[in-house]
Amino acid sequence: MKVFALIIPLLFLATFLFAAARKMRVYDSFTEGVKEAFPLVLSVFPYLAAVLMLTSLFTVSGLDEKLLRLLSPLFRALGIPAEIGPLVLVKPLSGSGSTALLSDILSRYGADSYIARCACAAYGSSETVFYIGAVYFSRTKRKKFTAALLISLFSYFASVVLCCALCKIL
Amino acid sequence: MNALYLLLFLLSGAVLLLSDPAAFLPALLDGASRAAVLSASLLASYAVWLGLMRLWEESGVTRGISRLLRPLSRRLFKTDDEETLSAIGMNLSANLLGIGSAATPYGIRAAELLEQRGSRPLYSSSMLFVVNATSLQLIPTSVIAMRIAGGSASAADILLPTLLTTAFSTLLGVLLTRLFVREKKAHPSGIKFDRTAKSAARRSPAPIVTAKGKQI
Repeated sequence: MKVFALIIPLLFLATFLFAAARKMRVYDSFTEGVKEAFPLVLSVFPYLAAVLMLTSLFTVSGLDEKLLRLLSPLFRALGIPAEIGPLVLVKPLSGSGSTALLSDILSRYGADSYIARCACAAYGSSETVFYIGAVYFSRTKRKKFTAALLISLFSYFASVVLCCALCKIL
Repeated sequence: MNALYLLLFLLSGAVLLLSDPAAFLPALLDGASRAAVLSASLLASYAVWLGLMRLWEESGVTRGISRLLRPLSRRLFKTDDEETLSAIGMNLSANLLGIGSAATPYGIRAAELLEQRGSRPLYSSSMLFVVNATSLQLIPTSVIAMRIAGGSASAADILLPTLLTTAFSTLLGVLLTRLFVREKKAHPSGIKFDRTAKSAARRSPAPIVTAKGKQI
């Protein structure tokens, strides 16, 4: 596992060395890149705020629990354990929320249990779909990604079903 | 997206109006303040990665990697523009390495370029969205770290199921995008997902698509 911890530091060191070998002014170029961070965040913020306001409203209104109750027979039929239901629903909406749920599942059921393994694979199979929509298209004029959103959500749910089946055999 | 947003907003707002109207404004403020906190951490992570990315660009690493991924990304995203392909290539490789924070700035640039210069902007940006949303990560670093923290005996044995499921979700997403997302201009009989795209096509019947189509 130690190997994974090396990836990022090595990436940085190799880049800096390579740039220096190419006779680049590393400090100047690096700061030139950092400069772009502010405008990028400024263009992302409005969409992030709008999506997170909706997510918060959705949770507080209790609609997420209603949706979960509505979907639980479907989940059971597809072989998704009821314990990971909330995680499956929250994952596309909130990165930090699903991380909290995952660590809760890990400590409650034990990291090596079937439930926890299922939860890990479900968590890893997709990104925070709504966040991708808000951030990636923050600089495009037209926000026409409903089809892509639905396709991503469908593929995500299908892969959760697959991972619950896989975790039983693997 | 506008219709979906409106629908979900009205629905949750109406439910809250009936059950607990006092919680309405705090809920919105909570969402906005989470966005503010997240933006601050994004600013930090963009500062780190955009700095590194500039070094990659100026030293020619970006060009090399995007040339490597060119056959794949050209076919998948249906674009020939060099700058777009290089942003896409970097977005893909950062995703594969599991550095989502580095993938994001490239993804934003790719989306922007695809809209401006792409011959099939709807199809290409949908593909970009789907490929990123379904995750391409080869090594689920954060999950493994969380399992170690949770006291797992063999934290890495989640590798195979995760790899298989994420590959499955990406392949399924790519397939569905190929099947269902059509440029309205080129295929008037295509499935109608988005009304704004259609009306936009009517406003400017640009012959770019057919011209490019003949070239390929």
